[in-house]
Amino acid sequence: MRHWIFSCKKISLLISESMDRKLPLYRRLGIKLHLMMCYLCRRYKKQLLFIHSILQTERTIEEIDSASLSPEAREKIKKRLEQEKQ
Amino acid sequence: MICYKKIMKTKGAMTTGKGKETNPITWLEKHGDTLYRFARARVKDSFTAEDLVQETLLAAYRSRKKFSGRSTLKTWLIGILRHKIVDYYRKQKPEQGEENPDDFVYGSGNMFDAKEKWKVKPGDWGKDPENEYERKELMTMIHACLDEMPKKMSLAYTLRELQGVSTDELCELFQTRKNNCWVILYRARMLLRRCLEINWFQGPK
Repeated sequence: MRHWIFSCKKISLLISESMDRKLPLYRRLGIKLHLMMCYLCRRYKKQLLFIHSILQTERTIEEIDSASLSPEAREKIKKRLEQEKQ
Repeated sequence: MICYKKIMKTKGAMTTGKGKETNPITWLEKHGDTLYRFARARVKDSFTAEDLVQETLLAAYRSRKKFSGRSTLKTWLIGILRHKIVDYYRKQKPEQGEENPDDFVYGSGNMFDAKEKWKVKPGDWGKDPENEYERKELMTMIHACLDEMPKKMSLAYTLRELQGVSTDELCELFQTRKNNCWVILYRARMLLRRCLEINWFQGPK
């Protein structure tokens, strides 16, 4: 069957884009329509979401949330600031 | 380490006075960790993050008269840090060169035919990895794939997906239009998807 509205290439971009912003309604509908007819794009979407979910659980942000300046770095910066003050 | 933090906190409490605090050492003590965390989430290594904190405090001290007190000291400092991070990425640009993602084996340019249909069809990945061990292995593969990508792309992707930086901020960091931002992320996702397909889901397990 032909996919009238958006090509697979276009859909692959739109699916990625939808992960970064809310798409306008007609595009969302266009994706839906296309996905109903195209198993390859359905697969592609599932795979992108899968990779996304893996990365979410691995988010390094937790590590970073508790990160702090090392005492050495702190000392170094302090010295530099003291220099500047004089 | 915990002890150290406690000391920092009490010191912080003592200096929370009404008037303007213009001693950069106090800024470092009170907001050093916050600045560091902010930077660390946006640049690759801890050394760069430390340098950025230092530059920020120096710049803040030099322009301390401009601090109006309309915002809190913390937001003012973070504002300066953001500019420093943008500068950092701007300076990096030349060495990245112009890499064309379509030249890559997994590039989106080779994935579709002239009618814009899938030429290299997305394969069936089967079951998702269930156990912890498999997930870890997969994570290692993801990082290996990211290392192979053009630098700017993997950087943008990592900031977005791993660090959770918003698309708006990402465009600001790379000084690029939003349209272009989405395309960079799209290309990164295409490359990563294909790289995993070849090396993980089809490869020897």
